[in-house]
Amino acid sequence: MLKMNNISKMYQTEMVQTHALRDFNLNVEEGEFIAVTGPSGSGKTTFLNIAGMLEPFTGGEYLLDGIDVGKLNDNQRADLRNQKIGFIFQGFNLIPDLNLYENVEVPLRYRGIKAAERKRRIEQCLEQVGLASRAKHLPQQLSGGQQQRVAIARALAGEPRFLLADEPTGNLDSLMARQVMELLEQINRDGATIIMVTHDAELARRAPRNIQVVDGQLADFTLYQGNPNMAVGA
Amino acid sequence: MFSHYIDLSWRSFKRTPLVSLLMVIAIGVGIGITMTSLSVYHMMSMDPIPEKSDKLFAVQLQSMDEGESWWSPDSMPYQLTYRDTENLLNADLPFKRAALMKTGFSVHLNSDKVKPFLEQTRVASRDAFDMFNLSFINGGVWSKEQESSAAPVAVISQSISKKLFGTSNSVGETFYLDDLSVRVVGVIEDWKLHIKYFDLNNGSFNKPEHIFIPFSLIKANEIDTWGNTNGWKHEPVKVFNDKLQSEKFWLQFWVELNNASEKRVFEAYLENYIAEEKKAGRFTREKAEYKLRDVNQWISYWEVVNEDNKIMVALSFMFLAVCLANILGLLLAKFLRRAPEVGVRRALGASKKQVFFQHIVEVGMLGLFGGVIGIIVAQVGLFGIRQSLSYYDALANMDISMLMTAPLIAISACIIAGLYPAWLVCNTTPATYLKTQ
Ligand SMILES: Nc1ncnc2c1ncn2[C@@H]1O[C@H](COP(=O)(O)OP(=O)(O)OP(=O)(O)O)[C@@H](O)[C@H]1O
Ligand SMILES: [Mg+2]
Repeated sequence: MLKMNNISKMYQTEMVQTHALRDFNLNVEEGEFIAVTGPSGSGKTTFLNIAGMLEPFTGGEYLLDGIDVGKLNDNQRADLRNQKIGFIFQGFNLIPDLNLYENVEVPLRYRGIKAAERKRRIEQCLEQVGLASRAKHLPQQLSGGQQQRVAIARALAGEPRFLLADEPTGNLDSLMARQVMELLEQINRDGATIIMVTHDAELARRAPRNIQVVDGQLADFTLYQGNPNMAVGA
Repeated sequence: MFSHYIDLSWRSFKRTPLVSLLMVIAIGVGIGITMTSLSVYHMMSMDPIPEKSDKLFAVQLQSMDEGESWWSPDSMPYQLTYRDTENLLNADLPFKRAALMKTGFSVHLNSDKVKPFLEQTRVASRDAFDMFNLSFINGGVWSKEQESSAAPVAVISQSISKKLFGTSNSVGETFYLDDLSVRVVGVIEDWKLHIKYFDLNNGSFNKPEHIFIPFSLIKANEIDTWGNTNGWKHEPVKVFNDKLQSEKFWLQFWVELNNASEKRVFEAYLENYIAEEKKAGRFTREKAEYKLRDVNQWISYWEVVNEDNKIMVALSFMFLAVCLANILGLLLAKFLRRAPEVGVRRALGASKKQVFFQHIVEVGMLGLFGGVIGIIVAQVGLFGIRQSLSYYDALANMDISMLMTAPLIAISACIIAGLYPAWLVCNTTPATYLKTQ
């Protein structure tokens, strides 16, 4: 599904050049559930953004479903993103003017889904993250954890084939974190490919495949034994 | 999606009410001033009689000697002599003709019910009513016999009729023009005109007259003009008849020609007429010269809409441009502050086009609000003009087309101002704002 060959990403600020990613090689098969770990500043978010076509990369080749992303124009990337990819951002990034219901609605609108179907999916997803009763609240009326759950609902509502999650459980207590993890596992079983960045070793261990980013490079990966959903990559 | 964008725009408006209001007011003032000057200009340049403006022709004859010049653009006299007017009016031609003169009287009744008042009066030949589309409420125009026998009759407007007799059906009543007792034969609807095109001599925007009397009364009752009399050579005028026989210009003349062939016939007549007069010692120029100008040509020949009016409109558009430059700055700030949100929308599947369109709808909405404020400002401005310059009374008004134009101009102006900010915000890299909170 996803194939990155020697991807590099360099940030050029006034004085410093930062190699956020270099010689980054990764192969992800359809239906995988991958946990990404690594120290802060190692390039995990950068990797997810590139995977989600939110930013251009400096070198290398990236194929998504066999399509060479480097050759697409902005519109085509937006289309592809819209059809296939769901995001859970590290910083939630809810839209402050919109209430929870409307925030979850955003990707559905851009996908041109009819109002009745939107309503069904939104209510279902808010139910799943336990916030159905707060649909009319604005983001700033929620705690950090609750906001994170809205961000998850928003990503799930689009029923993406490919979910990119940046620390989806970072602000949740362990019980809630486990519930979210179960949710992700559920949609993974339903066919979605998931890449999840996390600092939580226990959660990472639950994922069939782990990769580690260190200093902008894929350090190594560990396959946890005994997982039925095991996949071989890289 | 459009209604969704409107909803988003409205939320954005409410989110920064002060800045939004400031922008709307800036647009409103700019549009208001533009619409004020544009409305006056529009009224000035509007065809006063669109149904037949290309069929009514003002007649000019070059009866001055060789070497004499006039202050008109082509040195043709604006008005006609009495002799020519009478000859053209009485010529055996199948065309409707209007010989006109502005005069005025002290109007009074044989009672003390109405105080005497001074009133401009139009001397006219009987075709004038039909030619200029005047509609009768009661009675009609005086007969041919009355016209040729200089009968003391009058057609009056509804408002004068009400003023004098308390009714719009005053046919048969008599009143006095100075010492002359005249009988009402017809009442017309008030003649509403923005431009007094049929007689531009004494102010293009003066109001048409309310009292009309037969042309033949000029000679019979020695009625002199209240308008201009212009001479080009020394001619002693001792008695009124001297003026009638003189080469002085003081009358207006119009002819209705319905097609090109009618026009050719009339032109041939004029050429022939000038040749005949030449034999009698008039029209001494080597080259016979006459002009037929239709209503709109006549108006532009007179430069009714002059440079000043055009400069006013241009200035007000420049003022609007300054307002828009300010709005552009405010929009830029407002939109760029929203870049993180746009990044999120882009990440969630919005295309550049959708983001762009969302912001264009938002500025369009500001434009619409600004347009409404603009109409109010323009109404105040026009009211001010009407109060301070009564001369512009009929001009300082907004007709429907101008009312519709205001929001249109406002919306398109705002969209123009919003293009750059919208383009900028839809081009931000989505990821830039997603890394952290
Ligand atoms: N827009 C940017 N401009 C310049 N440098 C950047 C930019 N974005 C990221 N970086 C740098 O690139 C490196 C990788 O950043 P990235 O956000 O991918 O880290 P991360 O692994 O997600 O860290 P964390 O676990 O703290 O979220 C960091 O050194 C960061 O400072
Ligand atoms: Mg990160």
